[in-house]
Order: sequence, then structure tokens, then C-alpha cells
Amino acid sequence: MTIPMVSKLLRNHLRELALNDQRIDGRGRWEGRDVSLEVDILDRAEGSAKVTMGDTIVYAGVKFQLMTPYPDRPNEGGLMCGAEVRPVAGRNWEAGPPSAESIELGRVVDRGIRESGCIDVNSLCIIPGEKAWQVILDLFAISDDGNLFDAFALAAIAALKTAIVPCEKFEVGEDYPLSVSKTPIMCSYHKVGNRFVYDANAQEELGGDERIHITLGDDNHVHSLQKGLKGIFSADEFAEIMERAKIKSSELRKLVDSVLGD
Amino acid sequence: MGGYGDIQMIDENGLRMDGRTATQVRPITIETGVVPVADGSCRMTWGTNDVIVAIYGPMEAHPRKIQRQDRAVLDVRYNMAPFSTSDRIRPGFNRRSREISKVTADALESVVLLELYPRSKIRVEIEVLCAEAGTRCVGLTAASVALADAGIPMSDLVVSVASGKVNDVVVCDLNKEEDNYGEADLPMGVLPNSGELVFLQMDGDLSPEEFQTAWDYNIQAASEIHKIMVESLRKGGVD
Repeated sequence: MTIPMVSKLLRNHLRELALNDQRIDGRGRWEGRDVSLEVDILDRAEGSAKVTMGDTIVYAGVKFQLMTPYPDRPNEGGLMCGAEVRPVAGRNWEAGPPSAESIELGRVVDRGIRESGCIDVNSLCIIPGEKAWQVILDLFAISDDGNLFDAFALAAIAALKTAIVPCEKFEVGEDYPLSVSKTPIMCSYHKVGNRFVYDANAQEELGGDERIHITLGDDNHVHSLQKGLKGIFSADEFAEIMERAKIKSSELRKLVDSVLGD
Repeated sequence: MGGYGDIQMIDENGLRMDGRTATQVRPITIETGVVPVADGSCRMTWGTNDVIVAIYGPMEAHPRKIQRQDRAVLDVRYNMAPFSTSDRIRPGFNRRSREISKVTADALESVVLLELYPRSKIRVEIEVLCAEAGTRCVGLTAASVALADAGIPMSDLVVSVASGKVNDVVVCDLNKEEDNYGEADLPMGVLPNSGELVFLQMDGDLSPEEFQTAWDYNIQAASEIHKIMVESLRKGGVD
């Protein structure tokens, strides 16, 4: 991704807004943009979801492959999660091999899902030591107006929860829904104008400083953290956004549950 | 082109596996403005195909060696999402997507008034989210709608559609099974207002008579599809 030049005007403007407890698009400090979630929308994927957060739009698709279990873990299948931000998603994204930004995106989402234990890797084993399922989760952005992290993470868990294991296609039994026992949710906070805000848009990302991503499980257990970009933050600041993340993640978890009809 | 003539894909009433007649096109929807951060965009569903095109530009052409003193360059990228097909596709460019990107660019360069934007670049990003058959036709057709949505001057829209042959019968707009097991495929890119062509490929086996029928089917289908394209642009506020 090419980082465009950040004008001092934008940074100053964001700082002045922050002093008056305002944001560039009129939102409150902890207010997210409108979120919509659709599932089961792509016929060729075994599970799929589309998330819209303001003008940020992403898709997630789940595919399955047969794999040979790793010798040290003969009873386990695998989970692979990758993010691609292709030039379709914005004028600053470029073609070519995956950029550091999109690799970070994929890995942070991957950790939140993997470490929550929502997918029982033992259940993916078909014949110990010989045959197991590899779940491949591909995240795909088509419009980047900021906070791809949260949009990807939400699409990812929703797509997994709609996935059907395609046993018939691979002639290993009958199709069954993938078991996903938890709903890990990511909430991201950006330092904009010297204070953290939730769900930064592209302008806030551009004129802001560091970002912190928090993935929480059903019981508010922490499953992944990531601090990105240049910036210094205090323990008090972190404690504040952690409390906010607990509230926001439970809201988003309800959204996932309501869309999936649990 | 598998050429498995023993698979019955046309029934005794002349209907195809999905119930269409020989000349019937799969259902099509087009929506413009689907990528809010782009200068122009559209989503086209055509049967089970689901394709998104975003346009960026005209913008500065980088690196400078790609600049043309007298016109803009079109930077067209056709890509299939990893989850768009039955077997997952590894991300990244391959020979197929390169070729399709090139012939799509060649077709679009024939209609976009590039000389209005010297030394600049217009990016055309075609992303296939779900593939059935004929994704290159969907991509080219959708790209011309997205360019119009971006307000980029063109001499005409491009309608792309393929006809082919299954079980020795010429049919229009092949679906997945027909494409896999049929005997021929003739994709064309038609300028609906003049009837001229900007894109043509073919593979398989067609007699001169069959070829003419397939050609005529494409021209006929193009004028139907053109109406849907114009309708979607009007709805999006482009005249």
C-alpha cells in the first residue's frame, strides 16, 4: 500500500476536533459506523459472509481441502486464514505480492479465531495420521474506508459459522455443518488527535497514530492483541479501551447471533 | 471443451439442463456504485456469476515509462477471488488471468476516448467473487458499465456474450456444464449501437453454418443485455 502524504492540515484538524470531543464524520468517540452482515451469499464457497461498515466492504469465503496431518499432530486438521487487499479496494492499494499490511491483517484475524479455540481441530481429522480437513478462510476487501481489521474479523467468524464441510464432494461421507463453538470478536481503536477512538475511518487512519486491536471471546477472555504503527500509549489508555471493547464486542456478537438465527 | 458428447444436455423438447431455450440468456442484474471509495463501479450477476468492477482515475501514470504522450493508458486487472470456484484458487496472477486482462484491455481501449487524457492512467479492477462460466464476458461487460458510471467518455458500451455448441446444438450463453462438456465456445464483444466487434475468441469445433448461428445468437443477445446495462446506468443517475 502506498501511504499518501499526510497533510499537517488534516492532523491539526483532527486534533482540534478531539479537543472538542468531536470526530471528522460527526460520530461519538466510541460510536461505530452502521454495520450490516450478510451470510451465505457466494455459491461456490462452502461458507461466506459480507460485512459493510460505513463505506468499508469486505467478503469472507471458506473453502476446504484434504491434507495429511502433521507428523507431530496426527489427530488434527488445520486452519489457514489469509487476507487479500487488492487494488479494487482503493486507489492506494497496489497489485503484486501481498503487502506487509495485508499479511498483518490476515495474521491478526487468524490469531483471534485460532486462539479462541472456536474450531476444534481434532474434529477435522478423518483418518489419524493420514487424512484431515484443512479449513481455508480467505478474506477479501472490495472497498477500504478504514478499519478493515474489524470488518475482516466479523466476516471471518460469520463465514465459518455458515460453512458446510463438503464431504460428499471429496467422497468421505455426508456433508455436515462445521462446528464453531465460540464467537471471537475484534474491536479496533485508533489514536486520533491524541486520544483513542473506535472504528476509525480512512481519514482518521491517515491522520492518526497507533492502533490497537483486541479480540475477545464469549466470556470476555482475551484471544489476540496487536499494536500497530508508530505511537506510545499508557496503561490507563489501554484499560479504557479494553473496557469499551468488552461492551462493543458483546453488541457485535449479538448481531452475529441474530443474523445466523441462533 | 471436454467434448463428452455422450452427456445429454439438451432434452427432447430442445430445452437445456437449466430449462432455457437455445437462445435464452441466464438472468442478469447490474447495480452501479457498489464500491463507494472508487470513481466508478458496478456489480453484475449473470447466472451464478458475481463480478465486481471498480474504476480509479484518470490519475497520474506511474511509473513514468508507461505514460503515453498522446493518450491515457488502461490498466486492466482481471482476478478471481480464491473462493470463487469449486476448487480454491491460490491468490495471485496466473497465465489465464493475464491473458483475460490483456484481451479485456484491448477491447476497452477500442471504445474509451483515451486521447482526452494524455499521460494519465485509468485503472479497471475486475474481481470475480463467484464464477459459473463466461466470467471474461461478465468482466468486460461490467467494466464498460463501471467506466460509464465513472463518467469516462466512451464511443459505446461493450456487450460481451458467448455462444457455443453442446450435443451438436448451437446455444447462447453457456452455463458451467455446457462450458465444461460442450464442443465449442465463441465469446464476442459487441458494440451495441454499431454492431461492430472489439473482442473475439473461439475454441472448439464449429461448421460454417454453426459458426454463423452462434455469431447471430451473440449479436441478438447483445442487444437484449444492452437494455439492462442502459437501465442500470439510468437508475444510477448516468445518461
